[in-house]
Amino acid sequence: MEYSICTIAPIVLLPFFAFVINAFIVKRFTNIAVAISCFSIFGSFLFAARIFNDFVFGVYSAGFHVHKVFTWFDISATGLPFKVDMGFYIDNMSATMLLMVTGVATLIHVFSTFYMHDDKRYGRFFVYLSLFTSAMLGLVLSDNLLSVFIFWELMGFCSYSLIGFYYEKEGAGDASIKAFMTTRVGDVFFLFGIVILWSVIGSVSFVEIYKAISAMKLQGLTVLGFPLATVAAASVFMGTVGKSAQVPLQVWLPDAMWGPTPCSALIHAATMVAAGVYLSLRMYPLMEAGHMMTVISYIGAITAFGAATIALIQTDIKAVLAFSTISQLGYMVMGIGVGAYNASFMHLITHAVFKACLFLAAGSVIHSLHDHHTHSHVQEMPRMGGLRKKLPFTFIAMMCCTLAIAGIPFFSGFVSKDRILGDALYMAMKHSSYIPVAVLGFGAALLTAFYMFRMMFLTFFGEPRDKELHDHCHHEHLSWNQNIPLLILTVFTLGGWYCGSIMGQPFGKIATERYEWFQTLIEKPDVAKFKDYYKDNLIGGKTRPSISTEKSVYDENGGLSEEQAHHVHHAHHLGAIFSVIIAFFGVFLAFLAYIRKAIDPGKIVNAFSGWSRALQNKYYFDHFYKKILIHKILLRLNNFLAWLDLGIYDRYVIDGTEKVNSYMFQFAKWFDNLWIDSILVDGTGASVRLFNVVLRTVQSGSIQFYFIVILAVLTGYIIAI
Amino acid sequence: MINLYSYLGLSFVMFLSGIIVLVARKNIIAMLLGIELVLNAAGINFIAYTRFSNANLDGHIFTLFIIVVAAAEAAVGLAIAIRFFQIKETIHIDDAVTLQG
Repeated sequence: MEYSICTIAPIVLLPFFAFVINAFIVKRFTNIAVAISCFSIFGSFLFAARIFNDFVFGVYSAGFHVHKVFTWFDISATGLPFKVDMGFYIDNMSATMLLMVTGVATLIHVFSTFYMHDDKRYGRFFVYLSLFTSAMLGLVLSDNLLSVFIFWELMGFCSYSLIGFYYEKEGAGDASIKAFMTTRVGDVFFLFGIVILWSVIGSVSFVEIYKAISAMKLQGLTVLGFPLATVAAASVFMGTVGKSAQVPLQVWLPDAMWGPTPCSALIHAATMVAAGVYLSLRMYPLMEAGHMMTVISYIGAITAFGAATIALIQTDIKAVLAFSTISQLGYMVMGIGVGAYNASFMHLITHAVFKACLFLAAGSVIHSLHDHHTHSHVQEMPRMGGLRKKLPFTFIAMMCCTLAIAGIPFFSGFVSKDRILGDALYMAMKHSSYIPVAVLGFGAALLTAFYMFRMMFLTFFGEPRDKELHDHCHHEHLSWNQNIPLLILTVFTLGGWYCGSIMGQPFGKIATERYEWFQTLIEKPDVAKFKDYYKDNLIGGKTRPSISTEKSVYDENGGLSEEQAHHVHHAHHLGAIFSVIIAFFGVFLAFLAYIRKAIDPGKIVNAFSGWSRALQNKYYFDHFYKKILIHKILLRLNNFLAWLDLGIYDRYVIDGTEKVNSYMFQFAKWFDNLWIDSILVDGTGASVRLFNVVLRTVQSGSIQFYFIVILAVLTGYIIAI
Repeated sequence: MINLYSYLGLSFVMFLSGIIVLVARKNIIAMLLGIELVLNAAGINFIAYTRFSNANLDGHIFTLFIIVVAAAEAAVGLAIAIRFFQIKETIHIDDAVTLQG
């Protein structure tokens, strides 16, 4: 298995070149541009599939990775020891991630040809999609934090322009700015963390950071009295908080649904929010070294539960999905916090698949509901209902994904979420400080099952509540770019793709290790292994499986002692049983409330009006940011700075400079007029004219005069001798 | 008695009158005659020095050259004078001022 730049780089370069080309031709050749975008992402999907195939079916070792490094710039020749390396780092995790991103993005591209077809900026949408996807792929391939940061920011820009895609609407413009600025808060911390790591380690490559952690380089160092590892880990984690919409920076994600629905699918599933979790997974040893795990698990649990409660009362179909995204991201972060590295990444992948499918299905629903009075598409669930028969394929896709996200057995969401919850339960049993985390996690699972089925029931079941809208909706036919992408994604919501035993880890191992590829291949980066690591040079060409090419023996107990392993298994058994019961209970509640009408949700809302108002206002986070942070603090700071600018800087510095300039100008004018113009320029002319007069007089043309002059000169010469 | 200074005096007089003719006369033919006088004054000088220094025949040979050059120069000068006359219908030297700057 030889990897060179030619087999890795196209993954990120194909969509990027599609972006560059399309940016120029999109206005005139829209259809060609769309085709270029779609085919380029499909091309990078093929490259990613090859790498995935090599990693999972070829080498099959948890520790295997390919690391290619080239020097970006090196100014050590000037005596300053400053050198920046860039490179690719592919291990099982990034191989899986590449396949997921390219696959999901390809299907989203295909769906967009249906959804965006009648939009007046049809082509431009694909330009952004290409750049967005290539940035995400670049981030996944990066081997150091600096290039991660570059692609991270590129994605921030793309999300900004996609959320504000319908910029004629004021809300879209505001939402795009909000998303950009909120994630920027996290990015600043992230950059700060990068700088800290660089200043200590001298490099921000993942491998170097792992090496430094294993060599205990970060220990004993402090920043402003805090342990350096903690500060660095917290700063990097703040990047995740911003990008993956964790509390307290989650406010941007619900507004991100102002963008077109396929772009929401891309942001919520494959690219933007996944990047944050991916970064935290990559930096997992740093989080451990910084003792951040409890904080991370709490943030994740609070996010998961809080967002789930908000989702309960949303009426916009996309808003429900947006809050469910935040909630599921909370699960992933919680999983990192409780040490469920593998399960957390698994949830990232399974969530990406079913959430992309859910958003595309929601897009399909929205697209087929057209209000002829306002000439707009309908997103409000109270106006839907009974769409099951009109949109059968969308219904099937959405149902499967809902089952997956709710954690019903046999579906992917169950496998991954259950394993996170099992680990949370295990941690809660071990340390009492983790009990709230586990409680919030299980509570969120209940709420997830409830609100997702609420959405399903309101949308597809019951009687149509808006008769006219329902009658205008056309019956759905199977079409290659509307339903097929959904159905393909639906296939991958089955749990069997991700783990051999369909029921997940605790229900016995009926399959061999290859079928449990996810659990056996992806493991926490073991920093001790990186101690004697040296990198491959990209130019050198020879790829060497740097740690071991042997197939790892699947360790049933995950390296734990017999007794510990017993506890873990016990906890996972309990967790699985709990989460199944809870999921079915949630579905049952939703069934009671929205199909049988046994419970009236309106009454409950009225009974808890204070709570429901808090939920309506999303726990007043937006109010807090707007009223307190922006109006009270930032705006005042802004006014003060404006006063500083206008009153001090403008008046004294700018106007003073102007005065000095004016005097300089007067002097320059005098100098120019007198010395340059009068003396040098006119003087040149005058001297020429003077010599002209003399020479013209001498050259009379009379030969005899010349002769006399010659004689005179000769005579003078002789006399002089 | 005739010695070197007599010859030099003769050639000086001839040279001087040639120069005067060259400068004072406005007729091109006359000016050509003045040039002949100057050249011949030079020739007399050569002959005289050779005669009184008992050296070799260099002076004689040089004088022959001078005569040849003077003949050629007269031929060219007359040709110019004829062309000049054909164009200007005069041979007055003050009309030949086309070289004026």
